[in-house]
Amino acid sequence: MRGFLKTLFGDARNVCVAVICVGVAGLLLRTPLAAAAGLVLPVALLGGAAYLARH
Amino acid sequence: MIGAVVATFLTATVEWVEAYTILLAVALSIGWRRAAGAGLAAMAALGVLTAAGTVALAHAGNLLFLQFLVGFFLILFGVRWLGKAIARQAGLKKLHDEAAEFAALRARAEIFDPRAAWVIAFNGVLLEGLEVWLIVVALGVQTHHTLAAACAALAAAALVLAAGFFARGPLANVPENTIKFTVGCGILALGTFWVLEALGYQWPVGEFSILVLFCFNVAGGLAVARSYKMRLA
Repeated sequence: MRGFLKTLFGDARNVCVAVICVGVAGLLLRTPLAAAAGLVLPVALLGGAAYLARH
Repeated sequence: MIGAVVATFLTATVEWVEAYTILLAVALSIGWRRAAGAGLAAMAALGVLTAAGTVALAHAGNLLFLQFLVGFFLILFGVRWLGKAIARQAGLKKLHDEAAEFAALRARAEIFDPRAAWVIAFNGVLLEGLEVWLIVVALGVQTHHTLAAACAALAAAALVLAAGFFARGPLANVPENTIKFTVGCGILALGTFWVLEALGYQWPVGEFSILVLFCFNVAGGLAVARSYKMRLA
């Protein structure tokens, strides 16, 4: 079961990276800076991948 | 459709190579017939999961929620694969070595117990196949080409088995990290596109944005790997 969940969701860091990045983009879409979401999410996810690479 | 099929084929190739290493190690202990039985049982379980997942998702009433869900899973998957590939390219993590994996499996005491070895083979194929299942269901449902994606996964399995038959050993020469890097970038691009679109964002250049996102991920991923490598040197 643990292997199943880890395969589907990854570890806690992986889930946090995805939730934070998508959460920030979602919040941004509700502000006047909504147009920036298309730039912020890819950059945030690349930063997340860079973080995961080191941890 | 082509993107979904290619992504599924590449993902499945990487995962089936790892599953083949497990099957080979088990087969040398309990024979090919039993090992193949375990592998086929795992494939059947994956088939049932694929059908169940596809039906469940296809009947989800809210299409935007479905798109968000699929996109989010792709982000979870893509960011993990890209992170791993960057780490391996930068030298922060060892490259996956099928020969070493094979030797480690052969050194396990349980592999000589027929029942335990069968379970090792079944679990190995099932767990490696779960990522393939995720990609087949996610990309298939979202692009309405689940059958084509499933066929791509089966074609990858056939290719790996054929290569294994000729190699007569673990498939150590597959450029796994390059494939993982490319697939990670592609899956992340699709996930980013679908998640933001489901949240109401209008991409400036429509579906062409997926290609732009893919190129951004490739360039950014290579730059990060290079910068980590330089810091290590």
